[in-house]
Amino acid sequence: MSGRGAGRQALPAGTLGTVAVLVRRDARVALGGVDGFASVLPFVAAGVVLGGLVLGPDPAALRTAAPGLVWLLVLTAAVPLARVVAAAERDEDSWDLLRGLVPPGVLLLAKAAVLWAALAVTWGTGTVLAVLLLDGAVPVAGFAAALLGLVGVAASTTVFGALLAASARGAGLLAALVLPAGLPALLAGTQAGTAADPLPWLALLVAYDLVAGATAWAVFPFLLEE
Amino acid sequence: MPRTPAPGGALLPATAGVASGIALVLALLVAPEDAVQGPAQRLMYVHVPAAWVAYLAFATVLVCSVAYLVRRDLRFDRCAQAAAELGVGLTALAIGLGMLWGRPVWGVWWTWDARLVTTTVLLLVYVAYLGVRRMADDPHVAARRSAAVGVVAFLNVPVVHFSVVWWRTLHQPPTVLGPDGSPPIDPVMAWALAAGVVAFTLLAVLVVRRRVAGLRAAGSGTAAVLPADGAAPVITVVPGGGR
Repeated sequence: MSGRGAGRQALPAGTLGTVAVLVRRDARVALGGVDGFASVLPFVAAGVVLGGLVLGPDPAALRTAAPGLVWLLVLTAAVPLARVVAAAERDEDSWDLLRGLVPPGVLLLAKAAVLWAALAVTWGTGTVLAVLLLDGAVPVAGFAAALLGLVGVAASTTVFGALLAASARGAGLLAALVLPAGLPALLAGTQAGTAADPLPWLALLVAYDLVAGATAWAVFPFLLEE
Repeated sequence: MPRTPAPGGALLPATAGVASGIALVLALLVAPEDAVQGPAQRLMYVHVPAAWVAYLAFATVLVCSVAYLVRRDLRFDRCAQAAAELGVGLTALAIGLGMLWGRPVWGVWWTWDARLVTTTVLLLVYVAYLGVRRMADDPHVAARRSAAVGVVAFLNVPVVHFSVVWWRTLHQPPTVLGPDGSPPIDPVMAWALAAGVVAFTLLAVLVVRRRVAGLRAAGSGTAAVLPADGAAPVITVVPGGGR
């Protein structure tokens, strides 16, 4: 895999430098590995196409359902993307080494940043397809909701990804944890893109980000101990 | 083999039994029938206490999870597990009774209402929490992982409780703990409801204590084998026992 060599380079001093190295490394893994976009983006495309088929040919119904369908697909895609959190380290058996070298907060920040970017690209792809195929519209508030809501989803998904990093068992549980954790983003993200007054929904997303981020920051170190 | 005495002696079971009897009499015989909903409304005297005590159980999971992460004592982990199992059972009971009530009153078994959906999501999350506990053989590894999930999972509880306030839903808003603080409920109904909550809480404490005792016995890794006449008891120690 193309990103493997980056794991062996020395970590620079300073939080931002360390985050940058980890983000570059994980981004290469996500782009190059079969667990990353290679599998997620076709899944999103299939979801939009089949969603349109299920919802029927009525353009008004398709237009109404499009934002929610995209958010649902993004949350569903977060389940396989969570495996990316520690995919390279698991393959290289370097998770223990990384935990020893990088403080938990920095590791969380780097992993969540990569996941946020991956989810944002997934949302963007789904939205473009929804606009083209379902006649959906994306107001500015919809973009803002995506940028905000995916922060909380990325934080929660990073925690659950780390939970599975040290164990091959329990992967099936991931969906039952990741999908409910993204419920506020699913609801507020959909409503912000369709409601006449999106501000309350954007405020809810900010609150969700704060709570999800603080909780992830609090529990993440405990998941790195083993 | 002599039975292990129940934790808390006979006082707690007796109190829970008496409270359950009083709650049953108040709910079925004393409380008036609802003018609109008819006898189906009496399901509320079980449905509401089940939901409230489920919240309490999940709050216990949160407290015990934090306590485990701070103290690393498996007693807290056992308490969290027992409370989560109880909370899952009571949440399922509340959903089931809600469906039984919804059919005659709403005309449907299920509707896509915010309270119903968030409660079902809560149930799924804690079922997954119980699944996380099985992901590791080492009791401390399992305890640490499940404690982290137990903290995150509790974020769903306020979402469930306030769902009827935040969203326009078919489910009625809080009757007793409403935002204005004045319960719009008949006093006798309120007493029957309170008795149900007390009975459910006592029964829950009893169930959790017994379950914790059972988990301690299973996790202690010691299995006493009955000795032959006059011989010393044989103790088999299993690795991975609890603290």
